[in-house]
Amino acid sequence: MTAPLPNPGKKYDLDFARWVYDNVNGGDKMALCMQCGVCSGSCPIGTNMDHGPRKLFMMIRAGMQEAVMTSNTPANCTSCYRCVVRCPRSVPVTYILQDLLAKQAELGYRAKDSNENIAFAKSFWWSARAFGRTDERLVTAKYYWSFGPAEFWKRSMENLKIALGFIKKGRMHIGMPHSVKDKKGLKAILDKAREIESRG
Amino acid sequence: MSDNKKVRMTYYPGCSSQGSARHLDESLRAVLPEMGVEIDDIADWNCCGASVGHIGGGQLPNLSLTGRNLAKARERGTQDVITGCAACYLNTHGGNEKIKADVKKKAQVNEALAAGDLKYDGDLKVRHVCEVLVNDVGVDKIKDRVKNPLTGLKVAGYVGCQTVRPFAQTQAGGEYDSYDDPNFLDDFTEACGATAVPFQNKTSCCGGSVAVMSPDRTLHLIKNILEEAKEAGADVISTPCPLCQTNVEMYQDQINAKYGTDYKIPVVFYSQLMAVAFGMDGDKDAALQRNTNASDKLDKLAKRGG
Repeated sequence: MTAPLPNPGKKYDLDFARWVYDNVNGGDKMALCMQCGVCSGSCPIGTNMDHGPRKLFMMIRAGMQEAVMTSNTPANCTSCYRCVVRCPRSVPVTYILQDLLAKQAELGYRAKDSNENIAFAKSFWWSARAFGRTDERLVTAKYYWSFGPAEFWKRSMENLKIALGFIKKGRMHIGMPHSVKDKKGLKAILDKAREIESRG
Repeated sequence: MSDNKKVRMTYYPGCSSQGSARHLDESLRAVLPEMGVEIDDIADWNCCGASVGHIGGGQLPNLSLTGRNLAKARERGTQDVITGCAACYLNTHGGNEKIKADVKKKAQVNEALAAGDLKYDGDLKVRHVCEVLVNDVGVDKIKDRVKNPLTGLKVAGYVGCQTVRPFAQTQAGGEYDSYDDPNFLDDFTEACGATAVPFQNKTSCCGGSVAVMSPDRTLHLIKNILEEAKEAGADVISTPCPLCQTNVEMYQDQINAKYGTDYKIPVVFYSQLMAVAFGMDGDKDAALQRNTNASDKLDKLAKRGG
């Protein structure tokens, strides 16, 4: 069966594409995409994504804002950078997906899977800002706890053997978090950076 | 580097050096001076931001983490900064190149750093330990240090992603190997007297931070890696990446439960193999006691005490 012809009266709305070009890290290079699909073909968990990167980029150009901002594609990027090094047009695909996820989080959009990535990222940043270091124990615990007590218990039990093994081998310590000495200076830098970023 | 020439570099251990990847840090501190690379830690170093820092904190705060580390490193002088962690390398090298190339970003990072009485001009080089071993030390020099060859040990070299992507073929990244089919890890294995088995999955992704937050989404990726290593008859999988080592090692029980398999394959760092091959102490220097799946064959090869 032949697909219906596009409606010649309908204009593409380029506002969303322009927003991506201007606001998303690496977005200024997205216009170079020639839709070859090497990125989607190279992706290790592209099968988890509702759209491959190639299709997502076309959707951006087509102005499909709602579908893009609720897509689980960015949340399933594992940061393997295979697409970045293979793209014949040097589009920084991984960087674009990573920042699209940050924009989804910032603007209150949630997709299937992305609630996990966003909760994990928030727990991670909490540790980085509070101690200047990633405390793997506390990041994991805080991340599990963000889904409520029942899920905290379930995930903790599922991974208890791993945690005990790490404690036994000295790869997870008991006691206070490791920390930078100059916590005050670090916080001042990070808060200033946030202030600079928010003034645009 | 001539036989007795020593070089000093500033070392960025990264957060996993105090947790899940202590055995990478401990074995690197043992073997690097053996190969003429003396290291001083970045004073009061902080987290690199990894793959998710920008989501929780924003792009500029995330870049400022790198800015602070490099400002601290610069206080030691202009010697190169090295790290053995793939994520630390990715963020710190990438961030450094961004600060060098983007005048506006450099100004913004320095405005933030000023709040902590620091500054960074972008005049350092940030390098991966493996790139230094390939380009500065040389595989022949590694071979020269081997006193206890790992004869008969079959090793699947699992490079992972961020150790080579996206910088291994760039000029700033030292052009030390290829993105898809790098040879350096197998070269290290063979230099240690062990046998590198063919391994197609050498740069396949383990799932990275997605594997940490939701194993269900990525266990199949790790299974592919284990499956091929087993079929190739590998005694151990060797890797340079902290997260690869942790993911591929710690999820074997969950993979076995999900797929009805029986994997129990040791996953070690290349630097642990080097420490054993250099005849150093199996625990103190090679940190073999920190692997949750021990390799009997490697343990027997390792010297103790002494």
